[in-house]
Amino acid sequence: MKHTLRSFFSFFLVLSMTLAQAQETTPKPKQEKSTTVSTEADQKISETSMPLVKIEPTAKTNDSIPAKTDRYGIRVGVDLYKLTRALYDKNYKGIELVGDYRLTKKYFLAAELGNENKTTDDDRVNFTTKGSYIKAGYDYNAYQNWLDMENIISIGLRYGFSTFNQELNSYRIYNSNPYFGETPVIASGKKFDGLSASWIEVVAGVKAKVFDNVFMGFSLRLNRLVTNKQPENFSNLYIPGFNRTYDGDFGVGFNYTVTYFVPIYKKKVKPTVTVENKK
Amino acid sequence: MKKIILLLFVLALSFSSCEKDDICDANTPTTPRLVIGFYDFLNPSVAKSVTNLKVVGEGMPSGVLFNGSETTSANTISIPLKTNENTTTYSFTLNFGNSNPALVDEDIIKFDYSKQELFVSRACGYKSIFTFDPTAPYTHTDPVAASQKWIKFISVEKNIIENENETHIKIFF
Repeated sequence: MKHTLRSFFSFFLVLSMTLAQAQETTPKPKQEKSTTVSTEADQKISETSMPLVKIEPTAKTNDSIPAKTDRYGIRVGVDLYKLTRALYDKNYKGIELVGDYRLTKKYFLAAELGNENKTTDDDRVNFTTKGSYIKAGYDYNAYQNWLDMENIISIGLRYGFSTFNQELNSYRIYNSNPYFGETPVIASGKKFDGLSASWIEVVAGVKAKVFDNVFMGFSLRLNRLVTNKQPENFSNLYIPGFNRTYDGDFGVGFNYTVTYFVPIYKKKVKPTVTVENKK
Repeated sequence: MKKIILLLFVLALSFSSCEKDDICDANTPTTPRLVIGFYDFLNPSVAKSVTNLKVVGEGMPSGVLFNGSETTSANTISIPLKTNENTTTYSFTLNFGNSNPALVDEDIIKFDYSKQELFVSRACGYKSIFTFDPTAPYTHTDPVAASQKWIKFISVEKNIIENENETHIKIFF
């Protein structure tokens, strides 16, 4: 089941990137061409000296490139998935705050800050993980917006760091020869404090403006552990922010965010169309 | 942009390789069994096969299975130790089911040990390893009369039972 789920994640990640490719808009040089044609026509008409026609072409040259401004500012919000999961999963409590700051036209500084308290009930072990994490990095917006749209289809990188503790609630001893019967569940209550881990995340995300300054977003994450301080005679089977660990160093994650954009300043977009026309 | 897509695609592919960690793999070393080797009392370096040996744990209705059968004629056996107690008692019956009752002989050995639990993995949980009691690792008795023991001598080869690759106990008869 887990493997299928993971391959689905991979598949959708690839899909989301092709989406970004498909949405890419080519600049509009055609409009420029039509104006040059009209000016030629204008010159021809002027030879015949008919002053009445002059009004129309001047109006056309005015709206060839609309003035466009980009808004720069901070976007803050929460992960709805973590917030709502506590409602139906009694073994989970968690919150994640997300934020980003627009550095340039395409790049955003991005960070996530979270806290989790999760009890994992596996076949052979039952343990509670409590801890906080921070992820910081950047997003690159690969989406070319039309006019004043502010949607984002991004890929990015994060470096995550988490400090946490684990409590082993109960465990079972694996015995491949159950001659004396299956071993009972043994209560433990042993605590492992002062654990930490750090990892790198590749993030693929989408953010869409739903109204005014409110954005809804979704992101998929592939994680790879860099450091992992393991407890003695136990293992970090769950790391806050990183999620479930597997036999290797990899992991997956996602979030579903609602964010509010706080505009700080505006910047005029330089028309790139004329530059391409000169070639 | 194109390069980034390619990079992500390669990354996504690398994730699709399967990792088995939901089922405890049979090859993973978990709780070891006690490995007993049988040797000739008169010629201690020579392994000697038992004949129709039946091994029954104390209070158990049936014997330990060796390759699906309750009796064995091999020169080495592996039997499990209790992971929730510090002692396990087994009865070893030689020539089990023989029509001549004079040949059927039962000896009882009680093993005393301490155990330690070690974490294996998410799927396997923990395993136990055992350390024999340093003063009295075993107690050897005969239910009928002390003089009728078929086991002449017991030697503890390994004090710590960590895996099944070595013989922990040698029985000479």
